[in-house]
Amino acid sequence: MTKKQLTISLNEVIFFFTRAGFGVKAPIGIAEDFARSNAWIAKNGFDPSLCSIGALDNIDSQYSDLKIQFKMTKNGGHFFCASDLYLSSLSASVSVVDRINLGIKYNELVVKNVDFPILVIAAMGANKCNGVQAFWLDESNHEYLVRFTAQGVWEVVSSNSQPIELSKGANMIIQPISSETSLPSKTYLKEYVTANEKEDILQTGIKVGENWQGIYDYFSRCLVKSTAESRASGAGAGLVDTD
Amino acid sequence: MGTGTKFSDISLDFMRPPEQVMRLDRMGSSHQTRLSFMRSLIRRMSNEKWQFECLRRDIDSEGFGVSVYAVTTPHRVYSLIAFTQDIPPNRRTDRVIAEVWDATFSLYDGIPTQEDIDYLEQNTPKQEGGRFRPSELVLGRANKSLRLFEHVISSLAKGKQPDVELLSSVGYLMRTTAIYGSGKFGCADREKIASRAECRGAFQIELLAVYLIRWFTIDLVEYVAKKRGGKEAVRLDPSISQFLGIGNSTGLGMAPFLLKHPNLIHSWVLAKESALARVRGIEMPLKGSLEKFIKSLYRVSQHLMEWRVDDEAQTLRIDCLRNEIKSLTNWCSNENNLVKPYPWNIIYQHTEDYYSLECQELVVSLIIEPHGPLVDDLADTMFSESIPKLQVDMPISQLNAIVKDYYAWATTIDFTTTKSQQHFWYYSEDKLEPRFGSREDEEGSEQEMPLTIGRDTHELTDALLLVSDEMLVADFVLDHPQYRHIIRRIQNTFIMPYSEVQDNLLDESMLPLNLLRFKLAFFGASKFDPKSELWTRISMYQGAPMPEYLSDSSHDDWYFPVIPKQFI
Repeated sequence: MTKKQLTISLNEVIFFFTRAGFGVKAPIGIAEDFARSNAWIAKNGFDPSLCSIGALDNIDSQYSDLKIQFKMTKNGGHFFCASDLYLSSLSASVSVVDRINLGIKYNELVVKNVDFPILVIAAMGANKCNGVQAFWLDESNHEYLVRFTAQGVWEVVSSNSQPIELSKGANMIIQPISSETSLPSKTYLKEYVTANEKEDILQTGIKVGENWQGIYDYFSRCLVKSTAESRASGAGAGLVDTD
Repeated sequence: MGTGTKFSDISLDFMRPPEQVMRLDRMGSSHQTRLSFMRSLIRRMSNEKWQFECLRRDIDSEGFGVSVYAVTTPHRVYSLIAFTQDIPPNRRTDRVIAEVWDATFSLYDGIPTQEDIDYLEQNTPKQEGGRFRPSELVLGRANKSLRLFEHVISSLAKGKQPDVELLSSVGYLMRTTAIYGSGKFGCADREKIASRAECRGAFQIELLAVYLIRWFTIDLVEYVAKKRGGKEAVRLDPSISQFLGIGNSTGLGMAPFLLKHPNLIHSWVLAKESALARVRGIEMPLKGSLEKFIKSLYRVSQHLMEWRVDDEAQTLRIDCLRNEIKSLTNWCSNENNLVKPYPWNIIYQHTEDYYSLECQELVVSLIIEPHGPLVDDLADTMFSESIPKLQVDMPISQLNAIVKDYYAWATTIDFTTTKSQQHFWYYSEDKLEPRFGSREDEEGSEQEMPLTIGRDTHELTDALLLVSDEMLVADFVLDHPQYRHIIRRIQNTFIMPYSEVQDNLLDESMLPLNLLRFKLAFFGASKFDPKSELWTRISMYQGAPMPEYLSDSSHDDWYFPVIPKQFI
């Protein structure tokens, strides 16, 4: 499971990403949702390891903070991190979805200085937040607008050709889809139909690149070193076939 | 109750509550029923007239090489590709950390090309060390029963049938030590096949692979015997073939599975409990059903005589069970006990009042058995694709009420004692082997698996005391993300009450074996043969019809199998 080019299954995404999240000390409930977001990422044809390695690295190296705060505002609310660090997208993603599930109709949510917006988008997609859009300007001055237009259909409008998964450091504005939102000036548009992409990956598997090794390394932190004593506590220990 | 199962009001009165059913000691007394997955798969094979064919047998006179066995269902073909090799006896172990096996298998989606077989030849024998593709549905391996395998071949080669007593003492020619599906090691995800009728039920594709493996083992010994004995050789008597199952060694991996799939477990238990309730709710017995039940008591008595194990505790339980079944048979022979309204409920109640859990659960199986038309539809409900969802708009007052109603078993445990947290569950770096460690004696408890349901619930209740009843879960988890998973679980239990094991899985007295047996009984396993508190051997498909006999009218009559009469 540590080769540079590998094809994995959705089941393996759930298994390894849950534990990779736990491996950087995210609470298990958040790690479970992080894994489901990555399954959604994979179902849309992206490499989940590329989308998530930065977020895990940031937590591990303390560039991002898992602690999140929320402040109600007249228009909705703001999520932010009290420290000078980035707000971890692992925390931001679940909190945004929770708030949407409470009902944000006619309101807007602002997520300040989140490290990797793709994971917030993935959580919204995985939780079927239809009729919602997210807009952000990242630290490279690239603009993105993501719209969940219908069940299983979403589109990305961006001001540049940089893949959305590489967008980093942004204030995201999340609100019900509005035709009044101004689009990025130079526009790149791509529509995704999750069911189509998913059918492909169920037939061919999910290709993960060189970042897989990093995911696996975080996953490996959940494994316990084997000792003579622990080997003896495994099922079937000490037994050679006698039947 | 969650899933789509409907009850009459009367049946609902007979449902056993989760706090009775989902206790480890009762779970560890489970037996197969007619709703078990192997039983429903065999019924489907028969009803849909599945066709079986050996497509390839490139093996030498010792039985080593590659074979392909195909099954044609109404819409698709599946192929078992079997690789066999000679391995040193001292490397033959049932453990996950084994590195070689007598036989390894892939179940292929369709008919494999030579290119596919070449690919799998490089990967299947490596098992966890290989990589697989979405065209492969199941990965498995098996070791020979050394006692039986050679005996059967040499007997058949000499033109004789094997010693049935010896055969009965083992029950199988090979024993599988792992069967992986659902996306493991790159194999196809369940989502790829979940919409296929033959795959929709739980573990159907894995159990199809196991059925084909059983057929392969019998075909293999007959082939090698023929090579060895030439014209003198004979085939196994069909009744002996049918009596041979396929063995399995099951360890700790099943325990985390049960905890990680609460909705699936709920669907299994709900179906079984619904079947029991429907039967208990019958006012006047269906014609011939009581007679069938009485007959089954005699059959199960014989089965119990043939169920012999080394484990002392299980031996005592079997001894007790034999006596209780004898006692129940006598009690049932008195017509006055049964010629009353609701006779099945009377039998169940009598068993619950006077006999052991092992006997109670056996009788559950036996009274469901004669009621196929009444309960078999429930087998189609024993799956779930849903996952627990966090209900963020739930006020803390409601969450507290659910904890009080459904988790009293957890909140009353004193988790400050060493005994209550004696154990921890973890994955070892050795091939990710699941282990059950002692917190005092072993390192690594900080990496324990999140199977600490009771303890987490206990800690949550303390934290909930400090917040307002009106607070919403969304706000609580924002400040307390460490409770996100347990709140989601608790909320789910409210909707799916049979989803939770109502015992402390960390306790000093915890026996993982109970979890294994519970799951294996739903598979349809028999002859549980515990080898320690951590793992068990079982027999699967023992008594099930071989492919050429699936169309027989008796195809579903293989519960609690016994040695063929002519060989006793």
